[in-house]
Amino acid sequence: MALSDAEVARYSRQLLLPAMGEEGQERLRGARVRVAGGGAAAAPALQYLAASGVGTIWIDDPEPIEAGDGAGWMFGPADVGRPRAAAAAEAVRDASGLVRADVMRLGVRPTVVLACGASADVSRAVAEEARLLQLPHVVAEVDGEGGAVTVVPVGAPCHACAARPGLGADPTPAGAAVTGALAALELVLLVTGAVQPPVGRRIEIFRGTPLARTTVRQPGCACGAAAAPRAGPGPAAP
Amino acid sequence: MRPDAHIDVREQACPLTWVRTRIALGRLAPGAVLEVLLREGEPLDNVPRTAVEDGHRVVRLEAAPAEGRGSWRVWLERGAPREEATWP
Repeated sequence: MALSDAEVARYSRQLLLPAMGEEGQERLRGARVRVAGGGAAAAPALQYLAASGVGTIWIDDPEPIEAGDGAGWMFGPADVGRPRAAAAAEAVRDASGLVRADVMRLGVRPTVVLACGASADVSRAVAEEARLLQLPHVVAEVDGEGGAVTVVPVGAPCHACAARPGLGADPTPAGAAVTGALAALELVLLVTGAVQPPVGRRIEIFRGTPLARTTVRQPGCACGAAAAPRAGPGPAAP
Repeated sequence: MRPDAHIDVREQACPLTWVRTRIALGRLAPGAVLEVLLREGEPLDNVPRTAVEDGHRVVRLEAAPAEGRGSWRVWLERGAPREEATWP
């Protein structure tokens, strides 16, 4: 369906970007994004996803809002104790009348996943689940003042193949902001098909300097078996 | 000759004049012609120029006083699709 006048006006500058155009904007509107995590890295990511015109966002976070969460744009002091996912969805709806945002629930079918988990374990689990469901996904991992963003289109080397040990530093608000915002941008590129071909890549930000590389599958990883074309029946055993 | 499509952006301001023109061109096949009705001044200065920079061709440009004071008619022939961006 063609963009409405309100959508054209709202996304006018983005529509001018090379390789975006009306088709890219329609792809964003058709996207249903599961955002796993509603914390510090998710806050800028959600803001950018909503502003870019993603049609549907489901937020997945079982934790209540803590006092420290007030540093982000989504929650105020009065929100402490509320379920984080519900409050984040409300904030996203308030920020844009053109996006549907709600709490992730059973039975919905996302088309793409953004992992902004509070811990590396959560991010790994979300990424692996997305891979098994054959959903393209982006993983944001905050590390001190920086972090890493891994893009995993369907069939690309998995997050475990791409991951490398970082500093292991405690997340800072600055690290969460830059990592979450970059993850949202990468997801937009993935959804719109603005870059071809959609190979996997990982961007690591260390001391303010980004380093991007194409991801490589580790020998023997299960993601390789899943990505390989299905072989026909082999020769009969002797 | 008649244009294949028509838009009127006289009520729009920059950048929507070019945004709407670009979207309308994107809906056409290469070689098809879009008629754009626009105002003199900034839209007349910028829309045809930006269209040429974007790979399209101006095939007609004339004042259209019958459409109202300061109105201009521009026919743009849609160019070939631009090359896609590449993954760095």
